[in-house]
Amino acid sequence: MAVIEVKDLTRTFRSSKGLFRRNAREVEAVRGISFSVERGELFGLLGPNGAGKTTTIKMLITLLLPTTGQASVLGFDVVAHPREVRRRVGYVFGGDRGLYDRLSGLDNLRYFAELYAVPPREQRTRIHELLELVGLTGREKERVEGYSRGMRQRLHIARGLLHRPEVLFLDEPSIGIDPVGARELRATVKALVEHGTTVLLTTHYMFEADDLCDRIAVIAGGQIVSSGTPDDLKQRVSSGPVVEVEVYGVLGGVVDRVQGLPGVRSVVVEERGQAQVLLVHVEPGAEVTQAIMSCLDDARVGRVVTREPTLEDAYIELVGTP
Amino acid sequence: MSSLRIFLIGGLTSYRALFTWLTPWILIPSFILGPIFQILFFAYVGRTAGVGSDSFFLIGNAVLYASIPCLFAMSNTIGGERQHGTLPLLLASPAHRIPLFLGRALPVIINGFGVSAVALVVGALLLQVPLPLASLAPLALVVAVATFSCTGLGLVTAALALRVRETAVLANVVFGILMIFAGVNVPLDALPSWMGSVAAWLPLTHGIAAAREVAAGASLVSIRTDLLVEAGLGALYIGIGLAMLAWFEREARRRATLETI
Amino acid sequence: MSTLRLVLVTWWLQLKIRSRSAFDGLLGLLWPLFFATTIFLMYRASGAEGSALLSAAVGASVMGIWSATSTSASFTLQQERRQGTLELLVAAPTPFPLLIFPVTLSMATVGAYSMIATLLWGRFVFGIEIAVANPLAFVLSTLVTVVGIGMLGFLLAISTVRYRSAWAIGAALEIPVWLICGFLIPLQVLPVWVRPIAWLLAPTWGMSAIRAAAEGRGVLADLLACIALAIAYGFIGMLVSRHMLNSARRRATLALS
Repeated sequence: MAVIEVKDLTRTFRSSKGLFRRNAREVEAVRGISFSVERGELFGLLGPNGAGKTTTIKMLITLLLPTTGQASVLGFDVVAHPREVRRRVGYVFGGDRGLYDRLSGLDNLRYFAELYAVPPREQRTRIHELLELVGLTGREKERVEGYSRGMRQRLHIARGLLHRPEVLFLDEPSIGIDPVGARELRATVKALVEHGTTVLLTTHYMFEADDLCDRIAVIAGGQIVSSGTPDDLKQRVSSGPVVEVEVYGVLGGVVDRVQGLPGVRSVVVEERGQAQVLLVHVEPGAEVTQAIMSCLDDARVGRVVTREPTLEDAYIELVGTP
Repeated sequence: MSSLRIFLIGGLTSYRALFTWLTPWILIPSFILGPIFQILFFAYVGRTAGVGSDSFFLIGNAVLYASIPCLFAMSNTIGGERQHGTLPLLLASPAHRIPLFLGRALPVIINGFGVSAVALVVGALLLQVPLPLASLAPLALVVAVATFSCTGLGLVTAALALRVRETAVLANVVFGILMIFAGVNVPLDALPSWMGSVAAWLPLTHGIAAAREVAAGASLVSIRTDLLVEAGLGALYIGIGLAMLAWFEREARRRATLETI
Repeated sequence: MSTLRLVLVTWWLQLKIRSRSAFDGLLGLLWPLFFATTIFLMYRASGAEGSALLSAAVGASVMGIWSATSTSASFTLQQERRQGTLELLVAAPTPFPLLIFPVTLSMATVGAYSMIATLLWGRFVFGIEIAVANPLAFVLSTLVTVVGIGMLGFLLAISTVRYRSAWAIGAALEIPVWLICGFLIPLQVLPVWVRPIAWLLAPTWGMSAIRAAAEGRGVLADLLACIALAIAYGFIGMLVSRHMLNSARRRATLALS
């Protein structure tokens, strides 16, 4: 049985403005999504801002009721059995909110340990274990208002793990932290998954999803537009490798000639300062670099690179922004 | 001309942008219910303790409540720039400082006057305190002058608000000091002499005294000294407030603390 | 047992947060003192002495417990919402009302500090002889009043969780309770229609018990009434909380954005 099971989930928000003449407006944030996550899996929800990622997570951790559809976590329906779900899941979000600034890091953890009914005898060791894990040992007695963004984020993670959740929801955890911090965060998440925690992660950082996730669902406009392993996505979307040719002064007709070559799917010209760059999308297996070069005649050619499609190429194509 | 525009339009805009109380859910409890309950409370305490009269507490507390917008709106409209991070932008502008800051006072004075007027009328009806028709116009003038002078103190508080993080605490403390010292609920002659000397230099003290006399039928001529002193104190506090703002600005440029003040 | 532990730990941590805030910690002490000072000066001007003065001092000191609770209770959940912790509290498996009661209890506790400060202020600055006839009953009555007022604050906090401007409503409730609950003004002086309202407010009975203890009269009936009302508030608060949280999950009003 899947650990997270989502079926045809939708969520509509109504917002109204004005005191007397209320203008009600309906926004469909999530429009019928379905997916499931297996035990021990690291599942990514990837999408631009406003795609419905956070709304989906909030329905799963019982903060929002779905408008229609069903969702269960560890076999418990999120509408019918919210307390059973809450007991077993952890929730961590990015940014610097969600902590008591006037309390020390240690007191913040004590408070939430109490809220999550961590047995009193275990609390001390568990808290120290977690402080060690997120690298805050030695700073735990300082007030959170003096913490850096990265420290706050790490404290958040420790907080989310206090009760050893079977499922961890990470909502854009790396937002606003520096690259070193982000890398440490990814290592922590990997370690958790190795120890058997199921993780659902949302992010809009492509490399993060590529690096971490076993499976990804790309979500845009409240719908899942594609899902699979990162490699699946890259293959499914992009036709094949991309040849980038830097040219100084593309002559008329060159684009058409390249376009006409066998094995070429599409050609795009990008201006990059003095040079133009031909982005040639190629069919898998076709070898066209030589043919392209011969089309360019006397034009001065700079760098030529052939690269595999990135998850970013796939993502951009999927969510439909140029 | 442009200074006039900054004074009128800039002042009103910043008042609306930074004084976050302009919703009925805050206006009604804070500006109407608050003063009326306080008038009733002290009138009843006075009856129980056998001190003062309903009219005494009505006028004292109604005029005192003009200080709520004076103190809070002024702190919010200037101290609020710091919270929003717009203070450096404001100070980088070439606008003259005096119309810039004083423009913020005009809507506040009108607001304070309105609060006192409503409290006086409703309080008088509830406690059945007769206010002679002939006294209403002079009473309005006295309340307007008291509000002006209290706004001067508000400007000083606002300047301090650039340095103190907890502006709400500061404004509340100033309100508490006015309530004890300015003859609001305790007649000035019942205060220890040192408190009386402090009171003489506070806004509202002279205004409240004048308002009580006017309400009892005195003419404007007979209270002119109190009225002039009240207005003079207002001008003095405005001067102090502007000087503090100018000093903080210079200091911030010299020590590069503009972002942190 | 674990519930008791939860309430105690949460109460203690909330007390820590409050004592580090200028608004709750400093103003919570100063604000009641401003009013108490005014009242002491008024009584001094009237030439009151003896039991009338003591009764006023006790009444003025208890005002602070409600004062610290009313404004903060209606404000605190907005603050939790703004700092993003409200969602975390709701997402925790512990029932939400159980988390909020210790929060408002900590406010009433700050109020109890201010009560002691006011009594000392009256004793040493105004020379009011604080002669308590039955100290044990006095302390017990104060504790029960703190819990009763904490519960009233709990009801206020829970009922206003969805309203961003709730602090103004809480602040506007401060003086009416002083006015009608017999802190300084005997109930008989007030219009008849006010009395039933006063009887439904726990502070009325708590205040009455504290005054009775100071004067050496029996406190039991007053205490029982105060406790019964506190339990009733808790019960109503739980129902309101269930309704509010469901509506918040439906209408997405927990997060600020």
